[in-house]
Parts: sequence; structure tokens; C-alpha cells
Amino acid sequence: MSAQPKTPDVEQPSIEDRLYTVKYEDPGESHLDVKLPGICEEKCVTQDCVSVCPANVWRMEGDDGVPTIAYENCLECGSCRWACQHGNVVWEYPENGSGVSYKYG
Amino acid sequence: MSTDAQSGEDAGVEPEPEESEGPPMPQSTSETPSYDGEFDAIVVGAGLAGSAAALTMAEEGLDVIMLERGNSPGTKNVFGGIMFTPRIRELTDFEDAPKQRFVAQKTFSMLSEEGDATEVSMQPAAWKEEPHNDSWMVLRGDFDEWFAEQAVDAGATLITETTVTDLVREKGAIAGVETDRPDGRLHAPTVVLAEGANSLVSEGAGLAESQQRTDVAVSAKEVRKYDRETIEDRFHLTDEEGAAMHYFGDGAVGDAVGGGFIYTNKRTLSIGVVYSIEDAVHDERSPDEVLDDFKSHPAVAPLVTGGRMIEYSAHAIPEGGPDAMPDLVHDGAVITGDAAGLVLNNGLHLEGTNMAVESGYQAGKAVADAVASGRTDAAALSAYEEAMNDSWVIDNLNHYGWFLDAAAEDKEFLFDDLPRAIADAETDYFRMNDEPKTRHTKSARKRLVGAMGGYLGAAKKAWKYRKLFS
Ligand SMILES: Cc1cc2nc3c(=O)[nH]c(=O)nc-3n(C[C@H](O)[C@H](O)[C@H](O)COP(=O)(O)OP(=O)(O)OC[C@H]3O[C@@H](n4cnc5c(N)ncnc54)[C@H](O)[C@@H]3O)c2cc1C
Ligand code: SF4
Ligand code: SF4
Repeated sequence: MSAQPKTPDVEQPSIEDRLYTVKYEDPGESHLDVKLPGICEEKCVTQDCVSVCPANVWRMEGDDGVPTIAYENCLECGSCRWACQHGNVVWEYPENGSGVSYKYG
Repeated sequence: MSTDAQSGEDAGVEPEPEESEGPPMPQSTSETPSYDGEFDAIVVGAGLAGSAAALTMAEEGLDVIMLERGNSPGTKNVFGGIMFTPRIRELTDFEDAPKQRFVAQKTFSMLSEEGDATEVSMQPAAWKEEPHNDSWMVLRGDFDEWFAEQAVDAGATLITETTVTDLVREKGAIAGVETDRPDGRLHAPTVVLAEGANSLVSEGAGLAESQQRTDVAVSAKEVRKYDRETIEDRFHLTDEEGAAMHYFGDGAVGDAVGGGFIYTNKRTLSIGVVYSIEDAVHDERSPDEVLDDFKSHPAVAPLVTGGRMIEYSAHAIPEGGPDAMPDLVHDGAVITGDAAGLVLNNGLHLEGTNMAVESGYQAGKAVADAVASGRTDAAALSAYEEAMNDSWVIDNLNHYGWFLDAAAEDKEFLFDDLPRAIADAETDYFRMNDEPKTRHTKSARKRLVGAMGGYLGAAKKAWKYRKLFS
């Protein structure tokens, strides 16, 4: 049973293509932040905010150990808030309904 | 991401009745609320629990205001999924609801990473008869908008694009809400919290604790558009029949507690993965990559190939069961739906919509009685908690509460070893060669028993998971 039949191709969209399908209104400022950058830098070795995010919002780009936050990618799923074991994610809703608007959901 | 002016739909595509915008929301406004003290109850969130509560209270004659952060109810909401509708059907003219297909067929498949699949499929004749086992595939964008409209038609006021930021307390009791509107404070004797999984208000006000990440799942989903015929051919469907396909094992979501799904809408498929945040942080792949791998599994790819992605989405699911539930009743407030952790997810069942609606309905009735009695402290609202404790909601949560813990404990066995052992056993059992069938059977049995840790291990596992079927 483990023999591989020819499997049809499926689309594997880039995260940019995925996010392009979602209607978005920019709140103008980030609704996400870290409480204390020092905790990301010194205490955190796992960067779970980065691993859990389905929208590539949290990124380890610099070498200071503090994630950068592309808040305008955020799908408002909330997962980073639970993922961070240091309680270091500041999470608010974007104001007045801005942010994502799903059409289908 | 596209800007405000563009939606996911390309221009020039034929109009799709199922996906059209609903009629404009009567009374819906994004003006600054100036309703302070005008209402008997404030509902936080116009999702399933919120609209059920608002509808129930409005029908009982209460003045109700619903505050929703999205620019229309549903625009912030995501699910699989199947809407389970026993209570909604009683509360509304359900024939008019924007539905996709009823569940005529359910499958559960065990997928190994190597490409094996073992599927159990069921299509009881009874599901084809009204009311179709109260199981309908829907899309939340238009469904939630419609449901909120039923509450508005019953007399509730709906304010959109307004986020509740905190609760107002007076003499210790909850007496209203703060919003992100200028002068956006509103007073009312009761607040129904129906804010969903990301319950920032309940937590911020100290009514609920933040969940452990072992008790919350992350999901990633895409909606893909196909021809209607393609969907009906691939899944063997006619008319309004639909298929609900569930997948487990490391071929679905890796070595994680969770699974993948495909639900058939009229002209779209909802394809997604759901798995524990605890597992997600340990997977090298991001949720969108897990979704891509799931779609590429040899048993899944033929069902989803082609088409066009018209939306990508993500949402959290609370699945901590009865132990993770906050107190449902407080002085001046009640908590309903996902905000109260009312989701059953045990692999065979993923149910939150019915629990959200039931809790909103029961909360609405209790609030109406409390307001009529002139007292809205926790004791006066306790009828809500009692009704829930007596209902199938808490009964089901208690009955299956053990499952996710057990599954997390046995993760490797359930999602990794077992799918492979079953596939190998099937290979042996049905093998075509010159050995007698008795020998095939014997070696198949040996593989299964081996995976379960011998006969004693098999007996222990059977005992441990017996309640799933009792
Ligand atoms: C991927 C996935 C698949 C699922 N599949 C199924 C399935 O097949 N069947 C099933 O029965 N269940 C399923 N569920 C669970 C189900 O979706 C939920 O249990 C259900 O939606 C909960 O309803 P609710 O009203 O409590 O919350 P929600 O539907 O989340 O509604 C909450 C509402 O409150 C609003 N809100 C939140 N905070 C604020 C605030 N501060 N101010 C104003 N408004 C606010 C939100 O915008 C939203 O409209 C699934 C969930 C997910 C994520
Ligand atoms: S997981 Fe928390 S502490 Fe670690 S990098 Fe992310 S935000 Fe910082
Ligand atoms: S809420 Fe979800 S999408 Fe947004 S940053 Fe957190 S994990 Fe990423």
C-alpha cells in the first residue's frame, strides 16, 4: 500500500498569495507588540510566536533576538497570544473593525 | 494582502447566488453609540452565541443592543464546517437561511505520512430526509449576517465596527461596557459575553483565565472554487447533498493532536487543518505548510486538485473541555459560546456551533427572567448555569472531557504508529500471493497487536478509549 501512485498536483500558494485573497483595512498602527523586548532577547529560546503564526507576521529577521511584527499580515486568529510561554505578546483588536474581513469564513 | 477596494473575487466571474451579499442590515450603523442606559442587555459579539442570545431576549421583550467589531456580522469569523442546527431551526425560519449543502455523507480517514489511507464512510438514508440530521455545510460570512438579521428583525439593535475594550463595574457588579468609539461607554444591567475564542474582554475583566496552549488549537483553511459538477462528480453528490470528510494521522497534520477536513459547499470546498498550539510550536512547518502537505497527500490531492483559492483564513478553537471552562455566571454578566470554552472536539465530533447557539439561547432566557425580576446579580442569573448543567452541552463535554488528554498522551501511537500498522495489516490481510489466507490474517493481526503493545496493551487501549463509542 505504500507504493506511491501518481498524485495529482495541488496548488501550494505562497503566503503572499494566500493573504492576497483576504480583504484588509490597515488600522494604521500595529495592534500587536512584545511587552518586554528583553524577554524575547534573553529568556526566550523557542520563538513560539514565529512557529505558530499561519500568516508569517512574527519573524526573526535581525540578530537581536527580538521578533519583527508584520502586523498587516495578521489574520486575527489569536494563536500567538497563547503560544508565547512568557506572556510577552501584547494583543489588541485593530480599532473600529479594521484588519481582516472574511467574505466566506 | 489586498487593499480595501479589492476583495478576493476576480472581476468578471459569473454571479454566484450562494455567495452574494445579503440585503443591507436594517438598523445597522457604525455611528457613535448614544444609547447609554437605554438597554436591558448588551451583547458582546454578533456571532452564533451572541445572535442567539439577542434574538431570544428581543423576543422576550427586552431592549437589547449587540456590539460587533466586524463591519458586518461574520466578517471576522471562520469555522470548518458543519453548522449543527437543532436550536436555530426552532428559533428562526430556517428555510431562508443561507445554507450550502446538508451532510449526506461522512468519512473518517486515517492517513500515514507514507501515503497510506484507511477510510470509514457512512451515509445513513435518514440523513437525506428532512431535517437532515440538523447538519448543514455553511459559510460564516453570509450565515452569521443572516442570523444577526433575525435578531434585528425581532427588535435588537446592532452596532458594527465597534470593539468592546472592557467591562464597566459599579459596586463590584458589571454594569456596562467600554468600547473603542469616542464616548463609547454604555451602561446596562446585564452584559452577555459572546466574544468567541479570543476572549479578551472576559479575560481582561478577570471573569475568565487565559487558556493553556495545550487547550487551544490553531487552524488554517482555504476556500477553493470549482464547477458545481466537478464537486458533485468527485464526491458523488446530487442536489443539496454534501460530504464531510475528516482526516487523522501523521499524513493529515503530522505528529500532532488534530486533523484535516474537507467540506463540500455548492461551488466551493472548505479545506483545512486544525491542531493543538502545543504541537504547532514544535512542528518545523508553519500552519499554511501543514495545510499544503495535507492537500498533497495521495488520498486528498485527487479531491482538491484544480480549482482556484478564493480565501485563506485562520482561527483558534478552545478545546480544553470542562476543566478549562470559566464560571458562566457573574454579577451582571454571563459568558456563552467559545468564550466559555463550549466546544467538543474528540476526533469523531467537532461541535461548537450548536453549543454556542444553545448557550446563547439559555443565557437569553435567564437574562430575560432576571431583568423581569428586577435583579441581575449572579444569583438571579444562575438559571443560565443550571440550564446548561442540565443540558446535553455540559453532559457531552463531561463525557468526552478525557479524550484530548488521552490523545495527547498516546499521540505517537494514535497518529503515527496506528495509521501505519493498520495500512500494513491491510496489505497483509488482502495480499495476493500463493500463501494461504490464514497466514495473511495471522500476520495482519500480529502487526496490529504489535503496534498496540501486545494483547495486554491492546486491551488497555480498548478500555481507555471505550467511552468514545459508549
Ligand atoms: C477551523 C474551525 C473549524 C470548525 N468547525 C466546526 C464545525 O464543523 N462544526 C461546529 O459545530 N463547530 C466548528 N467549529 C467551532 C465553531 O466555529 C465555534 O464553536 C463557534 O463559531 C462559536 O460561536 P461563538 O458565537 O461563541 O463565537 P464566534 O462565532 O467566534 O463569534 C464571536 C463574535 O464576537 C465578535 N467579537 C469578539 N470580540 C469582540 C469585542 N471585543 N467587541 C465586539 N465584538 C467582538 C467577533 O467578531 C465575532 O463576530 C470550528 C472552528 C474552527 C476555527
Ligand atoms: S515567543 Fe514570546 S518571548 Fe519568545 S520571541 Fe515570541 S513574543 Fe518574544
Ligand atoms: S493573531 Fe494569528 S495571524 Fe495574527 S500574528 Fe498572531 S498568530 Fe499570526
